[in-house]
Amino acid sequence: MEDILIKVVDGASQKFDAEYAEVRAQKLSKTMLTLKEGRVEAAKQGIENGAAFRVLVNGAWGFASVGTLNFETLNEAISGACKMAKAASSRLKTPIKLIETKAVNDKVVVRPRKDPSKVPIEDKINTTLAMNNVILGYDNRVKSCTIDYLDLTGTSCFINNEGAYIEQDKLYVWSRITATAKQADVFTFSREEIGSTSGSEVFDVETPEIVGERVAKRAVEQLKAKPPKGGTFPVVLGPNVVGVFVHEAFGHLAEADLTLSGSILLDKLGKKIASEVVTLYDDGTMDGAFGSFKYDDEGTPTQKTLLVKEGIVVGLMHSRETAQKFNAKPTGNMRAEDFRVEPVIRMRNTFMEPKDYSFEELVNGIKFGYYLKSFRGGQANLDGTFQVGIQEAYEIVNGELGKSVRNASISGNTLETLFKVDAVGKDFELWPGRCGKGQTAFICGGGPHVRVKGVLVGGGA
Amino acid sequence: MVVLKREEMLSLAEDTVGSALKGGADEAEAFAYQGLTNNVVIERGQIARSSRIIDRGVGIRAITNKAVGFSYTNVLESKEAIEETVRKALSAAKASKPDGDWHSLASRKPSVPVEKTYDRSIVELHSEDLVKVASVMLDAAEKTDKRVFPIEGGAGASYLSTAIANSNGVAGFDHGTIIECSLATVGQQRDEVTPVCFEFNAERSYNIDPEWVGKEAARLAASALKARKMETKSTNVIFTQFAFQGLLYFTLVNAVKADYVQRNQSVFKGKMGEKVASEIVTIYDDGLFSGGLRTWKFDGEGVPQQKTLIIEQGVLRNFIYDNYAAKKEGKESTGNATRAGYLSTPNVEATNFHFMPGNKSPEELVSEVDEGLLVYYLQGAHSSNPASGEFSVVANPAWKIENGEIAYATKGAMLAGNIFQALKNISALADNERKIGQLVAPWVLVENVKVIGK
Repeated sequence: MEDILIKVVDGASQKFDAEYAEVRAQKLSKTMLTLKEGRVEAAKQGIENGAAFRVLVNGAWGFASVGTLNFETLNEAISGACKMAKAASSRLKTPIKLIETKAVNDKVVVRPRKDPSKVPIEDKINTTLAMNNVILGYDNRVKSCTIDYLDLTGTSCFINNEGAYIEQDKLYVWSRITATAKQADVFTFSREEIGSTSGSEVFDVETPEIVGERVAKRAVEQLKAKPPKGGTFPVVLGPNVVGVFVHEAFGHLAEADLTLSGSILLDKLGKKIASEVVTLYDDGTMDGAFGSFKYDDEGTPTQKTLLVKEGIVVGLMHSRETAQKFNAKPTGNMRAEDFRVEPVIRMRNTFMEPKDYSFEELVNGIKFGYYLKSFRGGQANLDGTFQVGIQEAYEIVNGELGKSVRNASISGNTLETLFKVDAVGKDFELWPGRCGKGQTAFICGGGPHVRVKGVLVGGGA
Repeated sequence: MVVLKREEMLSLAEDTVGSALKGGADEAEAFAYQGLTNNVVIERGQIARSSRIIDRGVGIRAITNKAVGFSYTNVLESKEAIEETVRKALSAAKASKPDGDWHSLASRKPSVPVEKTYDRSIVELHSEDLVKVASVMLDAAEKTDKRVFPIEGGAGASYLSTAIANSNGVAGFDHGTIIECSLATVGQQRDEVTPVCFEFNAERSYNIDPEWVGKEAARLAASALKARKMETKSTNVIFTQFAFQGLLYFTLVNAVKADYVQRNQSVFKGKMGEKVASEIVTIYDDGLFSGGLRTWKFDGEGVPQQKTLIIEQGVLRNFIYDNYAAKKEGKESTGNATRAGYLSTPNVEATNFHFMPGNKSPEELVSEVDEGLLVYYLQGAHSSNPASGEFSVVANPAWKIENGEIAYATKGAMLAGNIFQALKNISALADNERKIGQLVAPWVLVENVKVIGK
């Protein structure tokens, strides 16, 4: 296989004058399950083989993806990519260049304790069924439970015309668990996700009992919750919400392609954009975390990237293309969901660094506000406006946790809000999730508990 | 890579069903999919990329002892790979648990004609043609306003074909085309950056208008500059199709799915024949909508698509069904099983969710509002409570309406409410219907929406 790929890639630079050419050949296997109230909708197993080519000709990109590893087809695909790049280059104002990097030769083998490709599908069904039983058995007001399960294993082989050769095992285990509860006219919804790159042993920690109870308990507690008041209030964010806030509100703006597209960070490099208690990282090296890997899909080693140090923006997340524009180093953030799509700058495990407050100290000074514990979804915009929907929240009254609150969401301007972070906790949690940017990436977000002096809370109707 | 033709696709599906039956399946179904897409991509003000993606494969459902197993592969060159996939579907079924509600796969029905879903001229487009489309769009945007920066977008042309066969005699082939162009922009002026503004045009035939898309995307970004904050109050809101699509997709569209109703996840359970929306609201799920983005001859189970009345003058009339949910109630599928190509089993999903238009021009609609908001996009619609329909989202960009005229852009206004209450508060509909994803709808005026400002 290796020889064929090298031949195909070299052909692109020789025959079509490609300045750069790469191939990413993948063999992937997936097992998927969907359970609805314990009914196994279908047990699914699939195989996907394919290759993706990226070439740079006359300063423009050409990309081709084919679902085969057949030599003739691969050759055809890469010459197609070169011709397309030429066509695209006809209107180019600024030719694209890549920063020089050292070509890596490496083979990355994962050694899971429990390899999902070796766990019988019956066991996977039984794990998800056990989770279902915990949830539906928790309270008779829990009306429905949907569990999705996915494991992905395989290899990805990256070769470019600069001499890089990286063979890398892929391993992901993921599950999303949702439940609804109903009482009279009140409907509630609760969800959790599990995600790991270590192996099926993740279910020994996130056991069906622990996760099932977390999901069901929240759905039931929300039945008696009330909508929040709308307006600006002090809040304490839980690590789960800090994770999505850091990811959505700040992280996307620091993806250098979006920074260049006009995000509010463009003229803020080296400047203060947050209070000095805020230090943020995007880290691809955390062992077993859902956003970790060894090399990105451009062949750059992953790293722990410091983005904000004590309130000052010190780094962005770079591809070789954006690194060239900023005269920076690529950070190993170029990720492609699979061979069907091009790599783009994506986050890995993004978090705020813990400091020294206890949870009690954070809540203590608040007369009236909210404790936002767990998120439902979030979205950011280049103008710095963020929104995070909350699935679990509580009132804070005179420094103590009060009644539970449902369907809250927070919004604001990222920079204004980061300046209002006035105390950072000493605990730390990292939560798995998925991020969409035209394609899906597995990520984590997290941090400690954090206090924000004031943020806009969207109320109920 | 050579395009698979009708006969090849059909025999791939039929042969696969045959092997599954031979392998011991009680019932079997195969869904073959092929997609060819050419794209030209705009990045940061210039055409920077061109791509071609060829994706095809086959997905197999095998049923043994009322348990469903599924497997797929994209390795179609070798018979062995397909045989292996059949074996995996069977082993998955055997490992799975019997489902007491399983009845049978879909049965054969007469096929229906569809209009304007295939245009040969789209199949014949080259990268150079798409570069032209993207250039026209980019030029139009640049000419409209100097303060606007086109951040991303492009032009794309796709050819899709599907074939399905099952052990009940279902056998069908369909193909179609889609062409689209889109442009996302921001307005920039001194220290101010606007939220991302977006326009697009997608059609099944080659009659898109890239110049309009470019102009409109630029006009929106320019007029989103100089945004001001809003006061907190309840007000009238006009939702454009983009904003409305966001709200409906995660709430109303799910609430009319039969499986959601059966599983106690829909607020519409037990409400058939009751008033659930304002009487000016009539909605069809129209799988046969002429030139519709989701119009196909048959759904993901081979059931002919159809036009189903969902809400008639505010009254709930029907839910949408796939084969499984229908048979559970002794009914017939409404042709609403969709698939993610060959990679997934069928799910209940709307086709073209057609929210019938009114007869006012958009300008008239705005002119009738003394005070309110015109909301183009919503941030965070996906974080709505899918069960209850409660939403708490950011209107971004949005414009303040004063005395029947668009006065200024607003900044960071949040909207909170419940979509099912909002449906009852719809007081007027414009006549400007358009296709956005699965939604076909006009601008919609909703009264009394809570806006949380400063």
